[in-house]
Amino acid sequence: MPSRRDLVRCAVVGVAVATALGAGALAWSSTLLGEYSVMDMGGGGHGHAAHDEPGATGTGGAGASGTLTATGEVSVTSLAADPDRPADVRVELVARQQVIEVPGGHAVDGYTLNGTSPGPEIRARQGDLVEVEFVNESVSAGATLHWHGIDVPNAADGVAGITQDAVPVGGRHVYRFEAADAGTYWYHSHQVSHEQVKGGLLGAIVIDSAAPPAVVADVDVTALLHVYGGQHTLNGRVEDQHVAASPGETVRVRVINSDPGTAAVWSADTIRVLATDGHEVNAPTAVEGQRVLIPAGGRADVVVQAPPSGAVRLHVGGARSIEIGEPGASTQPARQPSRTLDLLAYGDPAPLGFEASSPDRSYDYVVARRFGIIDGRPGNFWTINGRLFPDVPMFHVREGEVVAMRIVNDSGEVHPMHLHGHHIAVLSRDGVAASGSPWIVDSLDVHPGESYEIAFVADNPGIWSDHCHTLPHAVDGLIAHVMYEGVTTPFTINGDAGNQPE
Amino acid sequence: MCRIYAGLAWIIAAAVVVQAAAIAFAFGGVLNNVAEGGVVDKALLESGGAGGTGELGFWIHGIVGAGVIPLLALSLLIVSFFARAKGARLWAAITLGLVVLQVTLGFSITDMPFLGLIHGANAFAVVVSAVVAALLARRARRARASRATAEEATEDAVAA
Repeated sequence: MPSRRDLVRCAVVGVAVATALGAGALAWSSTLLGEYSVMDMGGGGHGHAAHDEPGATGTGGAGASGTLTATGEVSVTSLAADPDRPADVRVELVARQQVIEVPGGHAVDGYTLNGTSPGPEIRARQGDLVEVEFVNESVSAGATLHWHGIDVPNAADGVAGITQDAVPVGGRHVYRFEAADAGTYWYHSHQVSHEQVKGGLLGAIVIDSAAPPAVVADVDVTALLHVYGGQHTLNGRVEDQHVAASPGETVRVRVINSDPGTAAVWSADTIRVLATDGHEVNAPTAVEGQRVLIPAGGRADVVVQAPPSGAVRLHVGGARSIEIGEPGASTQPARQPSRTLDLLAYGDPAPLGFEASSPDRSYDYVVARRFGIIDGRPGNFWTINGRLFPDVPMFHVREGEVVAMRIVNDSGEVHPMHLHGHHIAVLSRDGVAASGSPWIVDSLDVHPGESYEIAFVADNPGIWSDHCHTLPHAVDGLIAHVMYEGVTTPFTINGDAGNQPE
Repeated sequence: MCRIYAGLAWIIAAAVVVQAAAIAFAFGGVLNNVAEGGVVDKALLESGGAGGTGELGFWIHGIVGAGVIPLLALSLLIVSFFARAKGARLWAAITLGLVVLQVTLGFSITDMPFLGLIHGANAFAVVVSAVVAALLARRARRARASRATAEEATEDAVAA
């Protein structure tokens, strides 16, 4: 027979446990997002604008778009390229969910475009109007195409649930944009992207300069890196590539990192970095005994000169390399240098083209990590400015403004931060100002403890994702958005269309 | 309740052994992968598959370490309030504290590799504290059982 004291103790503990469970269940259900619009995010006013223009209505995250006036609102779908302009480059891409035969390796389950993965390389000339008709033949979760690094009009950004609905099986969607900036870019699905990009729903797109580039290479090759089922591939093959070049000829290698982690590029011979994320480096100097690190989603154009005899080996990623020189010639692999080329001080300074020192808006994007619940799922999640998704800031901007952002990594892992629809200029790292060529990127590796100051011109109206390109991190909450004043979206996430951009 | 308390404590201790085995298996897989000509880089780490044959080891270490053991340790603390054994709550709290420390260390190793030294050593501390908890519950149960027998014997003696 339990004593009275025991009964009281049991009752107290029982009530405490019941209360805790009830509170837990309430907290849990409040994290169940269900169907939502990104426009409802950032309602807590956590994205503070430090230097708001006097009289600006979008007080830096203080209100979701519902607070905007009804007049002059535009839908993301109307932010498109001139519909009357005929296309200069027209491509049809058919997506299928199927087994991919990986040459040199074993087959894996994945996704193809026109029967291959990577999909066909799209080549356009600067100023061309590119029109891509995307057909989903069999990707059951639906799919989209996002033009990574290209400042496309918002309607063509390809983010399911923000700029379009995921294209269902049997559906089609037309992407139209002007290829305004020359450079190396890539495209990939932005529906269940952590799965579909990993599975190979991607390809390269190269925009050739209308004017002759500063450094004209004799040979131009693309090196798209991707891991298929644990196999490192170069342009879809589990093998190294040989590029024939006569002695003294220069070869421009466009390295595209489509993987979720940083890729290293190095050589025992001299290389130069001609461009980062599609944008030319001013007066690139010789790089010796250093590696070039490309963030997940990023690109680097590297130039190599064919030697008087034999071949030069350019390591692209940890596992693959390109040998350049006499046909059939080979050379030994080189050990990866431990020193990394610092792009903050590479090349010669040149004007940025806008006034970054007096921004119209300043935002913080501080990444950290803590335990919590997102969408009813407990885990150790990423936070932005101390908040868990979806309670993350909305970066409100107005067209024409110069926006500064301080990206801080207070977590223990590197984050390749990727802003859609804009290219950003890196101003400083840990308080050290950029001293080389303008360093223009769309994917920026921010290492643990680092703090970057970046700036961009808000010249492309829309609603733009600003997320980590280690795509599983985006699933775990590392995603925010830049929203232009007066822009709305009719699309939702987790609704009938099954949109799941991450 | 002492029986459940002791059972949970033993399972926590056993789970730590599973953790050590799983991570050794995983790193064996990594070394084997590299020995066979594979390359482990950030692309492979983030895509999964760096562990080769031992990939399952990373998976087990993650699920058991960040999910199963913390839940068991939390359950142990809750059960300790019902277990009539001296020190049950204290040792359940110590176990939970060490587990929280262990998980935090585990998530910080990528940034600060030296923390791995503490992570490895702290695993033994978790085992010791879980075993102490299990033993004290067993001792309390046995003491009660022998007291009950003694009382019964006394009653019998009185009756006789």
